[in-house]
Amino acid sequence: MSRWRHSVDELTAGRQRYQKECERAQNALSRVTSCFQQLVASLGSSADSSYLREEIDQTRALAHRICSGLSHRLLRLLSACDSAPIAVEDRQASERLWVLFLSVVENFLCDLQKAKDLIGQFPLTQSSNRCSLVNTGCTDGLVGVAARVALVQIPWLVLEEEPSPNLTDHIAGLESLLSELQQRVPVAFWSVEATQPAWAEVLSDPDDPDDSLEDIMEVEVVSNSRSRNNVSACCQRKCCRLSCVG
Amino acid sequence: MTIRNALRDHGQRYRPRMACLKKAEKVLLEMQDPCTGVKSQPQRLVITIIPHAITGEDIIAWLADRFQIDTEEARSFGSMLVALGYIYPLQDHKRLVIKPDASLYRFQTPYFWPTQQWPVEDTDYAIYLAKRNIRKKGILELHEQEQYNHLHKWMNHKWDFIVMQAKEQYRAAKERKKPDRVVFDCQERAYWVVHRPPPGTVSAMDYGLHRRTDPNADETQTPDYYERIMIFTQQSIMRPRVKSSVSIGALVKYCATYSGHDPFLSKCLPSNPWLTDDTTFWTLNMHNVEIPTKMRVERWTFSFKELLSDPRGRDDFRLFLKKEFSGENLAFWEGCEDLKWGTAVTMREKAEQIYKTFLARGAPRWINIDGKTMEITVKGLKHPHRYVLDAAQTHIYMLMKKDSYGRYLKSPVFKETLKKAICPEEHKFNEVQLEQNARNRRPSLSPIIIRQQEQEQRAKMAANAPVDITQLCRFTTPVPHLAVYSGIPDPPSVTASPLFPFLAHTPVCPSPISVALDSTSASERQLETSEGEGNMEARAPDGGNLSKSRMALSLRRLLKRGCSPSAMFASLSPKCHTAAATSSRIQPIMPDEPSHGPPRRIGNFFQIKVDIPPECRIYPIESEDEDEENRPASRDRVGTEEIICPWESLSRQNGTG
Repeated sequence: MSRWRHSVDELTAGRQRYQKECERAQNALSRVTSCFQQLVASLGSSADSSYLREEIDQTRALAHRICSGLSHRLLRLLSACDSAPIAVEDRQASERLWVLFLSVVENFLCDLQKAKDLIGQFPLTQSSNRCSLVNTGCTDGLVGVAARVALVQIPWLVLEEEPSPNLTDHIAGLESLLSELQQRVPVAFWSVEATQPAWAEVLSDPDDPDDSLEDIMEVEVVSNSRSRNNVSACCQRKCCRLSCVG
Repeated sequence: MTIRNALRDHGQRYRPRMACLKKAEKVLLEMQDPCTGVKSQPQRLVITIIPHAITGEDIIAWLADRFQIDTEEARSFGSMLVALGYIYPLQDHKRLVIKPDASLYRFQTPYFWPTQQWPVEDTDYAIYLAKRNIRKKGILELHEQEQYNHLHKWMNHKWDFIVMQAKEQYRAAKERKKPDRVVFDCQERAYWVVHRPPPGTVSAMDYGLHRRTDPNADETQTPDYYERIMIFTQQSIMRPRVKSSVSIGALVKYCATYSGHDPFLSKCLPSNPWLTDDTTFWTLNMHNVEIPTKMRVERWTFSFKELLSDPRGRDDFRLFLKKEFSGENLAFWEGCEDLKWGTAVTMREKAEQIYKTFLARGAPRWINIDGKTMEITVKGLKHPHRYVLDAAQTHIYMLMKKDSYGRYLKSPVFKETLKKAICPEEHKFNEVQLEQNARNRRPSLSPIIIRQQEQEQRAKMAANAPVDITQLCRFTTPVPHLAVYSGIPDPPSVTASPLFPFLAHTPVCPSPISVALDSTSASERQLETSEGEGNMEARAPDGGNLSKSRMALSLRRLLKRGCSPSAMFASLSPKCHTAAATSSRIQPIMPDEPSHGPPRRIGNFFQIKVDIPPECRIYPIESEDEDEENRPASRDRVGTEEIICPWESLSRQNGTG
């Protein structure tokens, strides 16, 4: 009996380790997709360049690796749920992770489709194409974002380097992955609840004086314009937290 | 020059409402060209300088030059580009208009362009709100807070993802250089102002129902596609044609009549609420207002349909009809409308009610429709459906239109209303007042409350239903114990005897002759009835169908006298339908009902209608007397008394008995 219990404990511990690994992967995937969004937002603008396109491809490849690994692991995790005796909280945690993974993949898919359309609309094959890029005021090469992507670590060893697909195949692959996952594992996504209450993220990130960004915008408005309404005049003080900053 | 029917529109109305987006994109790409586009200048902020800012006046000048249009039009075109989200203002970012001065704008990055194939996701909006929350430490605008709470509730299952993604995006954005970061934040903010506009603003993104097919995409030529083309062209061929002079003439006439009343084309008194945010116009034109406006009253004179569709006009008309004692027509018409538009559950009941009130013999508010229509209606009422009263309703509508409407327009009621109608003064708001009006906008009454009020009013009106003078006769009171119309399937007796239909020769509607003869004094009638009764007792020993026998009796008398019924009828009435063919088709709802006979009404004299119902005829079939005598004896005292045979009285008047 004790041997059985011992093995169950081992299994549970193993499971929890597994779960932690998946969570870290999920965070990594989140990071990669948000960087991807920053990169894609510059497509077609004056900050667009071949360097940007390469970065986008690399980010995409990384995301692809994480996605496929994570999908396999989550699949294993959730199918193991059915066979072995699992505590309710564990199962709930796995389901939550599952739902979050699917959400990330959906979000990423949207960005991929936009990227595909934009790349199609603004090809950079010839130098004359650069004229058609929209002058949006961005000039940066997004080096910082690319660096951030490079720092992302996949929490498992990738033994074989499978070739990353091109954009169209990637999109098709993700779509089929989504539908397949939704069919194979019957998780009721509405039963998953948020761990934190609403407005909780407000208390996070106390480390930046970032509301000054909009103050900056408004301050310039006051000095720049001739007959501005005096609503923004009060924004000159940084401690002003009124919503007139918009 | 012909009016082209674009081949795509196979009666399916694609409504390519967002085709403008592709065109706007082309214009935008032209605009931002560094050589030939709009002049750009750097925007100087406190910490940095951001290039590629353009001024409003430059945009307008460029557009006017490029498209060879005047400044006003260029300005509205520019505002459209801003409203669609291709250009965003750097100052006053919530008002999506172009200001023709030095205010600055910037081009939106293509990622945030509003094209059709990228639907705006609520998930993205939730992430954006969470990011804003993080940045502004929870201080969001009111509508943003509401949206946040709403999304938190509905996307609770992915809320962890949303928060995590928001944090990650926030940190990723920090990796960029400061000016680019400012630009990106402005871009994102502008994107959400366009796609999730604050309440009270008009969004250019409203486009009605979401269509499943992209109107700009080329359609594949499948067999189904060709089939649709074929069906469309077949239908086009089958359509009846009208001369263009006629149809265009009608359009011209319509435009000429209505152009003064169209708030788009002409001034709206006192002021157009959509422009000035002042709702006086709507309060002055509410449904149940005491004194209508002059424009409204003028509209009633355009056509009968206008009068009826305006509730206040209908009230006025109802008042007029009440004075003319023909209110039942309008009431019937309204009942039919109620039936047509009501719920399916109440349909049967309503149809029954309408029959009892308006159509049955002896109904309190009996309407006078021609026999054929009555026949169709009564037959249809056995299996009532929504449009069962359509024929009768149309008849009554035409009646009112041709007859009462004209008189109404000349009546003192209308003249009084016209005299009292008000013509409000035009508002002259200045800027400050306009802003104040905009601030004081309040939502109107909830439609639920309005519907409740309407129902209460209708109930009140039904309770005090006007008693038409036509029914002030004891003979016309409905008899409760007689099943006038119960909607039960045909009683077997109807099918049993084929001659039974003949019993309907007691006309469903009063014969005009009898009506005309009603003008004879009541005393004479009493005389007739008493005489008739006396005769009856003499001749019909079983005391059965007295009325029937009386009629048959007089029939015999007439025939003995050798007077052909049709001739007599012809002498009495303007029009005469010949008889018997239609008679057999008349089927009563309840065969033992007809003893009611034609109701006698004094007032009806003034309402003689032109058509003679085919039932009001003499059916020279003597054999049917036996049938009558065998009829069940559910007789009614009232019924007996009121059957007055026109022939009888005539014969009496003619002297010989």
